[in-house]
Amino acid sequence: MASQYDRAITVFSPDGHLFQVEYAQEAVQKGSTVVGIRGTDIVVLGVEKKSVGKLQDERTVRKICALDDHVCMAFAGLTADARVVISRARVECQSHKLTVEDPVTVEYITRFIATLKQKYTQSNGRRPFGISALIVGFDDDGIPRLYQTDPSGTYHAWKANAIGRSAKTVQEFLEKNYTEDAIANDSEAIKLAIRALLEVVQSGGKNIELAIIRRNQPLKMFSAKEIELQVNETGKEKEEAEKKKSKKTA
Amino acid sequence: MAATFFGEVVRTPCRAGTEDEEEEEEEGRRETPEDGEVRQQLARKREVRLLRRQTKTTLEVSLLEKYPCSKFIIAIGNNAVAFLSSFIMNSGVWEEVGCAKLWNEWCRTVDTTHLSPTEAFCVFYHLKSNPSVVLCQCSCYVAEDQQYQWLEKPHNPDNHTQSNSCQVFWLQMVFGSCPRKNMQVTILTCRHVTDYKTSESTSSLHTPFLKALKTQNFREPPCCSLLEQPNIVHDLPAAVLSYCQVWKISAILYLCYTDVMKLDLITVEAFKPVLSSRSLKSLVKNIPQSTEILKKLMTTNEIQSNIYT
Repeated sequence: MASQYDRAITVFSPDGHLFQVEYAQEAVQKGSTVVGIRGTDIVVLGVEKKSVGKLQDERTVRKICALDDHVCMAFAGLTADARVVISRARVECQSHKLTVEDPVTVEYITRFIATLKQKYTQSNGRRPFGISALIVGFDDDGIPRLYQTDPSGTYHAWKANAIGRSAKTVQEFLEKNYTEDAIANDSEAIKLAIRALLEVVQSGGKNIELAIIRRNQPLKMFSAKEIELQVNETGKEKEEAEKKKSKKTA
Repeated sequence: MAATFFGEVVRTPCRAGTEDEEEEEEEGRRETPEDGEVRQQLARKREVRLLRRQTKTTLEVSLLEKYPCSKFIIAIGNNAVAFLSSFIMNSGVWEEVGCAKLWNEWCRTVDTTHLSPTEAFCVFYHLKSNPSVVLCQCSCYVAEDQQYQWLEKPHNPDNHTQSNSCQVFWLQMVFGSCPRKNMQVTILTCRHVTDYKTSESTSSLHTPFLKALKTQNFREPPCCSLLEQPNIVHDLPAAVLSYCQVWKISAILYLCYTDVMKLDLITVEAFKPVLSSRSLKSLVKNIPQSTEILKKLMTTNEIQSNIYT
């Protein structure tokens, strides 16, 4: 039955599905994992780095992009679609700043991206964007924000979330481990993001990219060394926790 | 005839009668000599041959008649093949006993006579220390017409598909006309999770996951839950399982539903519960080493794709 209703984006199936939009969600699953954490004074984006060809310039394969000085975004899904969305979002950020003389709020730019995506689910001859995005940043009021958008054009605020391949596993990990203690300070929030990613990233720190935004500070991308340090620290803490646990049970 | 909005011309139904149309269709159906030649060439191209690569000779009898076995393990698809390569084939010395050379429209090569070792097709091995264990790694797609034996009737003048030679296809070639009933067959394969039918929401599924389907003669408990209705199995795994059911052979199919059809570490590791089955338990030796072999396999087989990030 699906095949009769999945060719045109503007056609609902009898049971209310827009199959092209649902298929676009599948394209998101093909992208590598992205995790976003909203801490008390920090927002963290961690991604599973896509493996790069030997002759490929690593700098051109980026999942985390700044939209403005105080907002950044990570995506999972079709690379080309992401490039278009990011480009439009960046222009909108500058246009807003020039027009109203204020930087965009995180919610505003998320709504802009979500509206853009929704338009492409309702136009003939177009297909939906095959990306989901996690958008993080700080507003003028100093409150950290984390939003998620998906190909259907919906957006929601989250305390922590994951998108892309094996997102379900990471989401379950976050549901169990996102506590007030876990985000008590900046370094705990960073470690939580790394631990969440290590649930699904097999090869360890060298396949992880991390970015943070602190209040009133620009986006900071972690270097490979810094990530390795964090991963090693996280590994040690995990071992110690396991030793304590085995002592208790013994 | 009528023109549609898009300019195409379509035949409108005629109420005057359909006799003329039938005659026209009959004329169109009659095969020209060129058509027959093309069809025969295609049939020869699609022939499945079982041969020994070392000696470059064709096997005269079916594989399992030449190499009788008590355990036959088949991996179909690149993830299942990678699983067997990493976890089973490092456990001993395996000798190649045959390979099935076949071509169909899904193959990426145009040269059907000289398939190189790197071309994906079916390879059969047996364990040197225990030749009753035979393993098959099938990375290619075996089309429906190549799955079953197809015996042509040489003296039927109405049969426009007449050919003088019998085309021996995969199952007949492997199992033979009278397969041994006291062997156990284990089939491993993958399918995309979008093919999995369930009343639950698909977003709640923890992919990859394993499902089993077995023949009536298979008595052991499976290593995972059984495949629920209305899900069905397709292609070569279905053909093998059906064949085993008809011939009352003990067989089980382990089907991994995954969201990543290309070679993927997590999908391959989803087959791990199968290692506790009776047919595979004795073949597994060193799991940490197997995991290392698997990781190397992933790195060497990684195809760079920039479509998804």
